Amino acid sequence: MKRGLSLLLVLGFVAAVVLSGAGRDREPKITVHNPLGQPPAIARVPMAPRIDSLEGKTIYIVDIGFTDTHQFFTEMRDLLSSRYPATTWVVRTKIGTYFDDDPALWAEIKEKGHGMIMGIGH
Amino acid sequence: MFEELVKTYTFKKGMPNLRFTFVPHPITGIPAAACRKFLQGNDPLTGKPVLDEIIAALTLPLSAEDSKKGFIERPTPRMVPPDTEENLHRLFLENQWTDGLPIVLPTEARVAEMLKGTSHAPDEPVGKMQPSSPHEAWSYDVERVAVNAVMAGARPEHLPVILALASTGVPSLYTSTTSFARMVVVNGPIRNELRMNAGIGALGPFNQANSVIGRAWTLMSINLAAAGKAGETYMGSQGNNYNYNNLCMPENEEELPEGWKPFHVQLGYKPGESVVSTFNGWAFIHPDQSFGKPFHAQIPFWLKFVSPFSPATLLLDPTIIHQLKEREGFDSKEQLIEWIHKNTKVSVGDWLDNFYSVQNFVHPVGRRGVEPYASWLKLPREEMIPQIASPDNIHILSVGGGTNLFWQAGDFGHVSSASVDKWR
Repeated sequence: MKRGLSLLLVLGFVAAVVLSGAGRDREPKITVHNPLGQPPAIARVPMAPRIDSLEGKTIYIVDIGFTDTHQFFTEMRDLLSSRYPATTWVVRTKIGTYFDDDPALWAEIKEKGHGMIMGIGH
Repeated sequence: MFEELVKTYTFKKGMPNLRFTFVPHPITGIPAAACRKFLQGNDPLTGKPVLDEIIAALTLPLSAEDSKKGFIERPTPRMVPPDTEENLHRLFLENQWTDGLPIVLPTEARVAEMLKGTSHAPDEPVGKMQPSSPHEAWSYDVERVAVNAVMAGARPEHLPVILALASTGVPSLYTSTTSFARMVVVNGPIRNELRMNAGIGALGPFNQANSVIGRAWTLMSINLAAAGKAGETYMGSQGNNYNYNNLCMPENEEELPEGWKPFHVQLGYKPGESVVSTFNGWAFIHPDQSFGKPFHAQIPFWLKFVSPFSPATLLLDPTIIHQLKEREGFDSKEQLIEWIHKNTKVSVGDWLDNFYSVQNFVHPVGRRGVEPYASWLKLPREEMIPQIASPDNIHILSVGGGTNLFWQAGDFGHVSSASVDKWR
C-alpha cells in the first residue's frame, strides 16, 4: 500500500512539472515600447598623426586644472626630461575650471608643439 | 575604475581608439614623491610601465581604423521584440532600464492611454537630455516620455507635469563623482488637480502624484539620457538615495501669508500658471534649534555646513513662516533672503583653505578676474565675506502640515523651470 502511494506521489510530481512547463510555453507574448531615447550619430574624428621620433620635438603636457594635480604633471615632465633630454617637455595648465575651453592654448600647441599629453587627474 | 568611462566616452566622441594610460587612483592629496612613484610604476590595467605607454602612444603609427572618418548611426527601435511578461520584466531589469524596483510594462494599450493626458502629438519632439555637459545629448518625443511615465506607475493626468520636466532637459542623475541629488517642486493649480500633498508628510511616500512624478524623472534620466550607468555615465562614489524620488513635492502655497510669493511667482510666472521647477544639490539636514531665539537669527547657524560654492535652500514648515512674518517682521521671502545673505558669512581664510569645490570651481574663476571672487581673493584672511555668494542663490520653500515648527536646510540651488500648462 505504501509503495503504491509513493508511486502515485512520484507520478503526480512528474505530471505537475510537465504541466507547469507546458503552462509557461502557453504564456502569451506581449509587445511593449522601447523606453530609450535617441542617441545622436557619432562623427568619427581621425586621430592626429604620430611622430616617428621624439628627437628635437616639443611635447606639451596639459593639466586640466583639477585640484592638486599640477605636481603630478611636473613630476611627469621631470621624469620624461631626464629620460629624453633631446625633447622639450612643456607643462601647461588649461585656463579656468576643467569645464572651460582654452582655444588659445590649443592654437599654441598646434603652432609650436609636435605632440600633446592631456592629463586628467582626480 | 575609470576605464569604462574613458572607453565609452572616447567612443562617443568619435575616437574609439584614443590612446590612454592609467596610474593608481587617487592622485589628488598625495605628495610629489608618491606621484613620481606612480609614474615610475606600471599601469594597473595593463601591467606595463606607465612612461613606456606614454611614449608608445606618442610614437606608434596609426592603424587604418584610427584614421577613419564618417558617422556611426545608432537608431533606437520603437518596440521591443515580443516576449512573455516575465521575460520582459527580466529584460528591462537586466538592461538597466529601471531604477531596480518593479515597473509597469509599457504595452501599446497603456502608452496609448497615457497619451490621452496631453493634447500634443506622440511624435512631437520634447527635448534633449545629457548626463552632464561633456556627455552626448539624447533626444526624445512625447511618446517616449509617455513610455517612461507608464513605467513609473503614473496616470494620464500626471503626464503634463512629466512632459514639462522632460522639456527642461535636466537629468535627475548627474555624472559627478560627488553623488548629486535633484529636487522637483510643483507650483500652481496643477498641484490640487493632481491632489499632490504639500502638507503632512509631503516629502514622504504617502501620495501617488508626488511618488510617480518624482520617480518618472529618474526613469527618464536613465532611459532618455542614458544617465545613471554606473562607471560610464554615473560616477557618484556613494550614490544618493534622494535619486529614487528626487524630493518631489508641491509648494504649500495655501499656507503662505500675504506678501510671501509662491516660488513660481518669484520667478515671474503668474499665480494661476502651473510650473515645475528643478533644483540641484547634495542633501538637506535639520539642524537643532533654540526656542529662546528668533528663527531668523538662527538661520546663519543652520547654513554653516553649506559650502560657499553652493546655493542654499530652506524648506520651512508654514508654522515657521507665519512666525517669521507675524512675530519677526519679515513681510516677504525676498526680505528674509536679503537678511540671510547679509548675515551669513565666512572668513576669507576659511573660504581659501577649507572647501574643495571652492578651490576647484571658484578660485580659477576669480583668478580670471570675475567679480566678486577676484576682489575676495585679495582680501585679508580675517575679512568676512558672504557665505552664499548672491541673494539669487538663496531659496525659501513652504512645505509641511504644521505639526511641528520644523525646517530643513540644504545646499540646493534652482536649475530650471518649465510651464506645465504648455503640455496639457
